[in-house]
Amino acid sequence: MVTKRIEHKWGMVVDLDRCTGCQACVVACQAENNIPLNSKAYFQQRRAYEWIRIERYWEGEFPNVKAKFIPILCQHCENAPCEPVCPVFATYHNDEGMNVQIYNRCIGTRYCSVNCPYTVRFFNFWEPVWPKRLRNQLNPDVTIRTRGIMEKCTFCVQRLRRGEVNIERRGLEPLTGERIPAADRKLNYRQMKEGNHLPACVQACPTNALNFADQYDETGPVKKHFDEANEQIETRHRGGHVDEAHTRVYRLFEEIGTKPNVIYLKKVEPFPLEKA
Amino acid sequence: MKLTRRNFLAWAGLGAVGAVACEGFGIRRGELDIQSPVRLPEDLVRGSDNWYASLCRTCPSCEGIVVRVMEGRAKKIQGNPLYPTNQGKTHARCEAGLQALYHPDRIATPMRRSGPRGSDEFVPIKWQPDGIDSLRNALRANGSSSVMITEPLRGHLGLLVERFASAIGGEHLGFEAIDNNTLRAAVKNVFQQDTLPDFDFDNSRFILSFGADFLSTWVSPTRYNRGYGEFRQGEGRDRGMFYQIDSRFSMTAANADKWLPVRPGWEGHLALSLAQVIVSENLQARGVDVDTLVGGDSGIQALNNFRPETVAPLAGLTPEMTGGDPVEFLKNLARSFASNRPSIAIGGGSAGAQSNGLFNLEAIYALNFLVGSVGGKGGVRFNPGSPWDDVPASSKVGSLEDWTRVAEQIRSGKTKLLLLHGADPVHGLPDSVRLRDAIAQANDLFVVSFSPFIDDTSVMADLILPDRVSLEDWGDDIAEPGPGYQVVGMQQPVVNPLGDLDPLSFPDVLLTMAQELGKESQLPWANFKAMLREGSDALFAMNRGSIEASSADEFWNNLLRRGGWWDERRTGPAGVNAPDGLFRTIAGKATGPDFAGIGMGSDSFYLAPFAHNTLLDGYNGHLPWLQAAPDPLSTVTWQTWVELNDVTAKRMGVKEGDILRIESSKDSIRAVAYPTPAAPLDVISVPFGQGRKHGSDYATDRPGRESSNVMDILETTLVKGTGSLAWAGTRVRVSKTGESVSISKLEGNARAVEIGLTPAEKIIKTIAPENA
Repeated sequence: MVTKRIEHKWGMVVDLDRCTGCQACVVACQAENNIPLNSKAYFQQRRAYEWIRIERYWEGEFPNVKAKFIPILCQHCENAPCEPVCPVFATYHNDEGMNVQIYNRCIGTRYCSVNCPYTVRFFNFWEPVWPKRLRNQLNPDVTIRTRGIMEKCTFCVQRLRRGEVNIERRGLEPLTGERIPAADRKLNYRQMKEGNHLPACVQACPTNALNFADQYDETGPVKKHFDEANEQIETRHRGGHVDEAHTRVYRLFEEIGTKPNVIYLKKVEPFPLEKA
Repeated sequence: MKLTRRNFLAWAGLGAVGAVACEGFGIRRGELDIQSPVRLPEDLVRGSDNWYASLCRTCPSCEGIVVRVMEGRAKKIQGNPLYPTNQGKTHARCEAGLQALYHPDRIATPMRRSGPRGSDEFVPIKWQPDGIDSLRNALRANGSSSVMITEPLRGHLGLLVERFASAIGGEHLGFEAIDNNTLRAAVKNVFQQDTLPDFDFDNSRFILSFGADFLSTWVSPTRYNRGYGEFRQGEGRDRGMFYQIDSRFSMTAANADKWLPVRPGWEGHLALSLAQVIVSENLQARGVDVDTLVGGDSGIQALNNFRPETVAPLAGLTPEMTGGDPVEFLKNLARSFASNRPSIAIGGGSAGAQSNGLFNLEAIYALNFLVGSVGGKGGVRFNPGSPWDDVPASSKVGSLEDWTRVAEQIRSGKTKLLLLHGADPVHGLPDSVRLRDAIAQANDLFVVSFSPFIDDTSVMADLILPDRVSLEDWGDDIAEPGPGYQVVGMQQPVVNPLGDLDPLSFPDVLLTMAQELGKESQLPWANFKAMLREGSDALFAMNRGSIEASSADEFWNNLLRRGGWWDERRTGPAGVNAPDGLFRTIAGKATGPDFAGIGMGSDSFYLAPFAHNTLLDGYNGHLPWLQAAPDPLSTVTWQTWVELNDVTAKRMGVKEGDILRIESSKDSIRAVAYPTPAAPLDVISVPFGQGRKHGSDYATDRPGRESSNVMDILETTLVKGTGSLAWAGTRVRVSKTGESVSISKLEGNARAVEIGLTPAEKIIKTIAPENA
């Protein structure tokens, strides 16, 4: 007998009009994923580990100046440039739409990092060190990466797996613990929210700029945006024209064809700066 | 084992069964074929976790949290989705409560000073008899000449500490380096309310904020962020419009649709000029009695002194800033503010931290009356008082006048016992108060600190009795600002202290002392949990609110399980009447700001200090995640930086990473230069929070002295009417030291910025509102 596992395709939608750059996602990610403490030297050497980071872009000069924030994390590309260059298949694409890193296969060539257009892969230049007492906080669901290997955003796969185990295999409702009828055992958006199965950054984001769900989940907040994004890709494929001025949906570096599973919603700008 | 034919067949058979079993466990064939025979470590989910509801104590707004605990260790903090103020969301600061819990520099046992005061030389002692006895003797001898300094307290701990202080005949003062006293006074004068109001950003269409960095640090940022998200892109509503009027380009200003760089201290004048336009053009909301509000003809005349034509040059507005005539800009701003109702005006931060801060804030909040936003949907919502008669719903905090007096009392020998909990006034007060010297030189003074960490004040202690941190202890909170109705949050211990630590709960120690000193009549509880339980029983007896229970025990369990109790029907006043002639009164108080320090000159600047996004006023300086969280704008970590305009920097020959000396008439500090396009030409900004001299390595001065405390150079200008520190009222001189360091920032980590290959608009795309 082969148990059928339920299919998912995960996706994230980042609403730039909601993002305030507050860093809640950044710290939440570090707490969840056993990311080494970023010392001053790491920043000075430009080797800080931030699986999700807030980039800030200046536009204009005083007094007509703007700053814009964008959270950047692994885009979990469908056509990921990092995957084919790994000589040991340590990075691969799984059928849930995630780009995955197998730590104990990685030999640290850093080819993937070189090939990633989003600069979201981090190499462990040092053995991660925590003061003894702080190690009590480390998340037992997440491997600590050793020196010499690559790491990156996993979409908090450990939280998704826990959700799949609790809801799809054990059939337990998150808050009540009631049994779910076998036919309905598919992790949905509400259960992810209530059972803490959303990625840590999404769960923390105070403005709800980050949204995450199964791309096909009708009850989730991402489906309509992914439908639109996929349609854009189809249209472009057919040689058609996408009316950029009338849609908020876009993907980062669309033109290089990586087809990310993270999509962005444009920031609304009532007073654009005039370009010189 | 010898390999025989029989053995071989047996093992081969087992292997085949295993392969079938693997299928049965649900590994997809696809993964076995092309992915990995070695399962990802993340696929192996083992063990079960528990989530406990509690409260976050890394900032005064006190969010409801849930804490994930596995095998007796706290692993993760998240927002409590049920808790009404933050609704499941957190700020970056909340997460770091875990690092306070498992901090390597926690004080393990009680300690007694063994070297000169402030030398950081201590010897460990035992709680019984040494620690407790010393405390009891000190209280017995000098309780009546004691001052207890704590963090701002509300709820039952507030009640306990007040009663304890009065029982021993001493004084209690709450300490906050950047206090809200001026805001409270303005709210009292304008709205006659004793607790801070809530702002209904969710339903607002226009936010006009003066100096309040409400998305980052001001009052209750998590709640405001949540509302802001809805304000921008909430379902079923139009996108709101947001203007920030601020002398610094803060994170909040960066998110505004328009930032108006005002000359520091002229925010109140701008607010009155908007009021003048609204009144003269008859733009007020329907039903607003302008005549009473403004104060008749004399009020209108008073307002006419604040015409945009007069105020625009005073506030330093230029056509470049406003994209045309500043007067027209102000008029249009007033028109949009009045027509896009519900609209809301808020003020705080640097606008209230000037000598004329109280006038500024009153003028700003009074605008809400003109547009009918007081008490209504999308406007200012008021909070009810405490559900218990005697438990305080808002924290009282000492002003700079109080601290100057306390320092004087210590110097004169009038204060003989200083009790410290959760406050670091030596770091958080301007150097000119000379608190450190006063404590160091007072021979008759005995200092007891209940801090679990060494900081600049606890290092001066004679006796350190380490408290439990919040995740190990009981507590409660009356949310301030609440969401417009009564909310009580409960804090429960989610883990026990680790075996190598021996802290005792501060409220428990106070209750023990009260009994030993014969003060049971005022403080009859055996421990703090019993006191909280009594509060819970009283709530149960009220028979209202979010928890239904048939017995007091069931109520208590549900209270802990849900992390609190709230009653949506027990709201604050739906509206308040403005005092007659409010605008005339406010206009009568109008003055410009007074600046102390270095005078005007080409190398002198307005100093606009600001609360650090994660460290706040330094309260969280010892938590490495928060030190390493990049500032949203400069992206600097770990260091003290100074933001100055890039054109100004070029004129002075200053490059990024240069160490600058910033000098007032009091003292000077060093800070790393961060030239930015977003600073006004004559304003420099330095974050509060760094530059601790003692304690954890994460918090203290680091090699190269790149961490300094901007408090050291602040002039002691007071806010008129509240006696608070006007922390934005200092002018400074800036010079190069000739030294330079590598700046520790995130900017440039990613190659798009580093090489400049990718223009911003390719990464952050924008869209016009009409198409969104």
